[in-house]
Amino acid sequence: MTSTVAAARLGKAFGAKQVLRDISFEVSPGDVIGVLGKNGAGKTTLLEVMLGFTPPTSGGIQVFGHESLNLPGDIKSRVGFVPQQDELLDQLTVRDQLRVIASFYPHWDSALIDRLCTEWGVDLDARIKGMSVGERQKLSILLAFGHQPALLILDEPVASLDPIARRQFLEQLLAISTDGQRAIVFSSHIVSDIERLANRIWILKEGRLDWQGDLDSLKESIVRLHIRGSGAELPQLSIPGVINIRRDGAFATAVVRDWAPEAQEALEKSASVQIEVESLGLEEIFVELHR
Amino acid sequence: MFILNPQSGIPIYRQILEQVRRMVASGQLPPGTALPSVRDLAVRHTINPMTISRAYSILETEGLLERNRGRPMTVANQAKNHSQLPKRLQQIGPLIEQTVVAAKQLQLSEAELVKAVRQAWENNDD
Repeated sequence: MTSTVAAARLGKAFGAKQVLRDISFEVSPGDVIGVLGKNGAGKTTLLEVMLGFTPPTSGGIQVFGHESLNLPGDIKSRVGFVPQQDELLDQLTVRDQLRVIASFYPHWDSALIDRLCTEWGVDLDARIKGMSVGERQKLSILLAFGHQPALLILDEPVASLDPIARRQFLEQLLAISTDGQRAIVFSSHIVSDIERLANRIWILKEGRLDWQGDLDSLKESIVRLHIRGSGAELPQLSIPGVINIRRDGAFATAVVRDWAPEAQEALEKSASVQIEVESLGLEEIFVELHR
Repeated sequence: MFILNPQSGIPIYRQILEQVRRMVASGQLPPGTALPSVRDLAVRHTINPMTISRAYSILETEGLLERNRGRPMTVANQAKNHSQLPKRLQQIGPLIEQTVVAAKQLQLSEAELVKAVRQAWENNDD
């Protein structure tokens, strides 16, 4: 089975600035991939390279088995995109904007779009020019859903939505992802949304994929150890997989990756310490990876 | 049926595992009880169904749940596991450890802790 997207040692530079470095990944049908990264880490560039908007400067990337830059028309119609800055036509009404986009796709699901417009409170007769940022964002999302893409890419799709609108969006995204045939890749700063929706996580740091794997595995891999020694000062510790460590007399806190529960006893014995293991939510993990 | 926290450091599939194991061991989920479908749970909690599916598969392998074609998964007959006590004690082990650690940090004696536990037990009897 061809992967939906396959990247091998992808690199992207803009002039002297290297934005993406040595990135390899696979996206399979049924995946919901949450992309996390600081501003400037390269998320938007990565998504744009996936869409074929811009060529890689090294390595390769294929979408549905085709080079990203040369996607044939029928493949392009299987991809949906919600950009960070919307590309709506200000002079049109919502109805007309929907009509314009629908005209490009023979498989437009008007029943779905009508239903979502009602559920999400999108006014079909509103002129786009006068709509709030949130309303514009909802419309951008609808425009990407209508043709039932097999690959849906979203760049900060809910940054301007209130919690209720965000929840409606999540519910709809889950509904379309459950048939297992679609792949969704979305970048977001709203970590709690990612924790609900994603089964896989990409953490982009300075242009590299610092983490790539299941969300469940990520939470099991990266933990915070609370270490207490018996004397007044903790001895030097050799902890495998340590990301950062803070010492305070007889105590230390260490964040580690690739944690194995069996390692606790060995560590406690070898260093004569007591360890309490704290599991970390996704936001905490992200912050710690950047300390 | 479940209290799930997507923001927890404990993966959702593990939260489901622990809760089902505890409820089956305590008799709260008797054999034959139907569990909500993966899809129902996913929709109700707004979470990815794959993590729920994973939990259900593991529980099926453990013999706690059984699949019924075309119908919801049900709690399997636990009669073969006659001695439930060691299992139930194992379930509560982590909580007891946490309580002991906290009590020691607060410099409570063993007797004081036991007394407090007894008090809580009595208060809970109504």
